[in-house]
Amino acid sequence: MRTRNLIAALAFAGASMLESAAYADNYEIDGQHAWVTFTIKHGIYGIAHGQFDSVKGAITLDKADFTKSSVKAELEVASVHTAFDQRDSDLKGPDFFNAAEFPTISFESTKVEKVDDKTGKVTGNLTISGVTKEVTLDVKLLNEAQAPWDATLTKAAFSATGKVSTADFPMAKAANGFGLGPEVVIAIDLEAVKK
Amino acid sequence: MFTTTTLPLLLGIVLALLARFALPPSSPALTVFWAVLLLFFYWDTLGPPVVPPVAASQKLIYLAFAGIVISLLPERVLGGRMGSLGAIVFAAAFLWLGWRRIAAGTLDLQMIAALAVGLLTLVGAPILTARQASQSPSMEEPFLTPAAVLALSLSGAIVSVLGASIVTGQLLGSVAALIGGWCLVHYVAVLRGGVAASWSKGLEFLLLYAAATVLIQVALLAPKANPAALILSSLPPIAAVLVRGPLQNQLPGARPLRPLVAGILIAVPAMLAIVTAIVWAPHGAALGFS
Repeated sequence: MRTRNLIAALAFAGASMLESAAYADNYEIDGQHAWVTFTIKHGIYGIAHGQFDSVKGAITLDKADFTKSSVKAELEVASVHTAFDQRDSDLKGPDFFNAAEFPTISFESTKVEKVDDKTGKVTGNLTISGVTKEVTLDVKLLNEAQAPWDATLTKAAFSATGKVSTADFPMAKAANGFGLGPEVVIAIDLEAVKK
Repeated sequence: MFTTTTLPLLLGIVLALLARFALPPSSPALTVFWAVLLLFFYWDTLGPPVVPPVAASQKLIYLAFAGIVISLLPERVLGGRMGSLGAIVFAAAFLWLGWRRIAAGTLDLQMIAALAVGLLTLVGAPILTARQASQSPSMEEPFLTPAAVLALSLSGAIVSVLGASIVTGQLLGSVAALIGGWCLVHYVAVLRGGVAASWSKGLEFLLLYAAATVLIQVALLAPKANPAALILSSLPPIAAVLVRGPLQNQLPGARPLRPLVAGILIAVPAMLAIVTAIVWAPHGAALGFS
């Protein structure tokens, strides 16, 4: 009886996995159509804007059960720009992102929560300058469609927003609000190619 | 600005007055005062110690702690081991600060400059601290190591700030101002017919090591630091060794001028470093941070 129950349980688990796998699609972030931007307070005045140009990563999207979705992404620190060379040098330096020692910023999801059919909350580990902190992003699936000019190409588009504090990371000058910081608002728009 | 320049300058003056009137210059208590002030400026610029340290900037304060421990060892323990101990400690500091860059295996111009800075400080600072005090010290002798640390720190601070590393620039600026205050008081004493107080071996090691490790970090990580200026900034300890040796006969006979000329000779590479950093600054001579 016990063996029969075990077999039944395994069969059910296997069927569930198959079902889940059937709905989980894999995507690769399209670096040419990815805008990872941020705004950060500039001293006692306004708001500075910046962007990372080099983005890569993978998304697994389970439309049947969003909570089984995941995302892993990596930004190249040296690709940061803020429309002013000197500030970009400062941001790449050891007082901020420290590109020479930590050339990449990474994000890996640990939990995905569904809000409605198109939106969710993605919590994950954000690693900047070797320090990892948990961050939650509000994510929206904008669209998924086949390219009109290429039947083999399907892309999905996502929008995400979130907030981090530079005080959580080893960024001495941003953390004390000298020039830039400490609060950073993240806004991401990206397209991902279905594999 | 106050905690980077004015405060350390005043505290350097206080330390010098303590050494002249209250404590023997080689007293461990004086080394402890220097150590406490050094840690205050590390804390002020880099923040409190982080456990475990991940970034090189978080490791600097631990390196300072290690330097303080060594500097407080009795002179008879340090004695003849100063050179070899110094070389080992400098090499270990370089490897710890730079292991991520070394592991990345990129040998670009910045890394070559960092290796040169590491090598030059590893050679210069231990030789300078290993030398034995003269039986009858010359007028400039107590100024040689302070001048070397002052020149290295001041040029390192400017190269760092122009190279997009403000924090290390502030820290080196504080060290330079501290030592500037010390030198000022003792030079006034020389002008008034007195004799300057010498640093203990431990204190020489501590301040050379603290300034040099921060310069090594600038060389490793400041993205726009001028490589030639960095290498020139690391030369004052070697210049101080030369001033005590082959260049000693070039110093003028006039008593009050000897420390001044010795200081200028030691600072020549640092002055060249500052000029190089300003002339070839990537964004002009304006400070970073905009």
